[in-house]
Amino acid sequence: MSGSAAMSDIALAGIGLGRAAAAEHVSARAEVYNMDVVRKFLIASVFWAVVAFLVGVYLALELSWPSLNFGLSFLNFGRLRPVHTSAAIFAFGGSALFAKSFYVVQRTCRARLFGGEALANFVFWGYQFFIVMAALSYVMGYSQGQEYAEPEWHIDLFLTVVWVAYGVAYIGTVLKREEPHIYVANWFYMTFILTIAVLHIGNNIALPVSIYAAKSYSAYAGVQNALIQWWYGHNAVGFFLTVPFLGMMYYFIPKQAGRPIYSYRLSIVHFWSLTFMYIWAGPHHLHYTALPDWTQTLGAVFSVMLWMPSWGGMINGLMTLSGAWDKLRTDPALRFSVAAVGFYGMSTFEGPMMSIREVNALAHYTDWVIGHVHSGALGWVAFISFGATYYLVPLLWNRARLYSTRLVSWHFWIATLGIVFYITSMWVAGIMEGLMWRAYDQFGFLQYSFAEAVNAVHPYFVIRMLGGVLFLIGALIMVYNLIMTVYSPTTEVSVTERRDAALPAGAALAGE
Amino acid sequence: MEEVSEVVVGLLMLVLGFLGLVMASGALDNEIYIFGLSLAGFALVFELGLIRRHFDRKDAARVRVGRHV
Repeated sequence: MSGSAAMSDIALAGIGLGRAAAAEHVSARAEVYNMDVVRKFLIASVFWAVVAFLVGVYLALELSWPSLNFGLSFLNFGRLRPVHTSAAIFAFGGSALFAKSFYVVQRTCRARLFGGEALANFVFWGYQFFIVMAALSYVMGYSQGQEYAEPEWHIDLFLTVVWVAYGVAYIGTVLKREEPHIYVANWFYMTFILTIAVLHIGNNIALPVSIYAAKSYSAYAGVQNALIQWWYGHNAVGFFLTVPFLGMMYYFIPKQAGRPIYSYRLSIVHFWSLTFMYIWAGPHHLHYTALPDWTQTLGAVFSVMLWMPSWGGMINGLMTLSGAWDKLRTDPALRFSVAAVGFYGMSTFEGPMMSIREVNALAHYTDWVIGHVHSGALGWVAFISFGATYYLVPLLWNRARLYSTRLVSWHFWIATLGIVFYITSMWVAGIMEGLMWRAYDQFGFLQYSFAEAVNAVHPYFVIRMLGGVLFLIGALIMVYNLIMTVYSPTTEVSVTERRDAALPAGAALAGE
Repeated sequence: MEEVSEVVVGLLMLVLGFLGLVMASGALDNEIYIFGLSLAGFALVFELGLIRRHFDRKDAARVRVGRHV
């Protein structure tokens, strides 16, 4: 176990400082840290979460009743689908990551964000501009046609500029740190920044028809294009939706539980093994295609090996609660974070299993894949973000507590029920599709037409839509709770709590 | 640091805004036209924000040292 700033902050919790005291402590350092950009990204992440879930529910309705696109091109499933995925991954997930990474790097390095306010504001507004421009281009019908990499060349170039600015701000802060040790969460965030830059540039090398036209042609053709796309696509999952959220887990679960990480050594092993293995797993998206057999096998082998570091990380996250399990009863925000780690474990078992060729023969192109993605996106990404958001809002707005822990609990159970509806219906629908597509009759003909399979899964599509509605309702409850936390007089830090917040001598030096 | 950062980011936004105008001026499709104009507008608003924050900070510094004008 290594000492670090995060650890010392936990030590502050350990010497009896309550939540209100912690809020005061943050406020005392407000002059030192740039929390303005953290607040802005946090608000953006909550806003984009609602947008992403809303568009998702609308798309689920369209899949159940296709006439709901009303014949309008911009409501077409093909155009709205990337709006949903980009809003969920890049807008909601991305903004949450920016917020939490800027918070964590400043606190654990005990240094103000590098580059001043101007750079931080450029990263924030530039990233929001990218999101709006990308969404607008999708509904107008412009797309590279590559999953999770739909924006055309000009938007890609703009994002590259913003990403470099983000990297400069983050790595600059690490370089000027006052804390000698680089806390493990920062390693996860720095890998995220570096790898996403490489993936984004590598996959989007394209030649525009003209600098005055949106259309471009990829530098890669045929199966090479497919391989590069899924090298990018799978690592978008790995290095955008997994690695930095693990950074979030390694900072916020110890803070919420008031316990140090179960094993700091394991977190380092987790980091290096995950980073090394993830980058090779992409070809499992191309089983039974023109991709050479050995490449498909390589992708599957690395995917199966990934199971171990993933579960190592999960165990580390869960075992951090040793001696603090009782907090799950009283702190529903911590419940979000811990359930997220559970979902992480579940989907990182399901993923390697689905990458095995024989399983993939049944699962590929079916709705099982959609269920798998959502158990990760809703259960892991969204839940760990919600947990950290509930933890951060009172601290950042200098409030004594959340407006209502009861509402957090309602959010948790409604959202969990929504995920259960979603993933179980997609399991059933996906396996049914896979079995129907491969069924032969006694004459060797396909037993079912494609339309029959579509018809058979209709009830499950409706159940999936209901799951999405529940998840959206949960998010709206969170929005209400967070707004009330910031504005309600009941959450103000009282005079008594302010007096209690005084730090004992020496503690301020030990704290972040 | 704040001053240097403002100058660097301000120059970057200047270049981006100019590129936006160039793209919009010769746009062959709606996407580039809208993107170019939006980029120029974004750069303009951001520059105004930089100027506002610069003078806000100067004012705050003047108040701190008690040199009201």
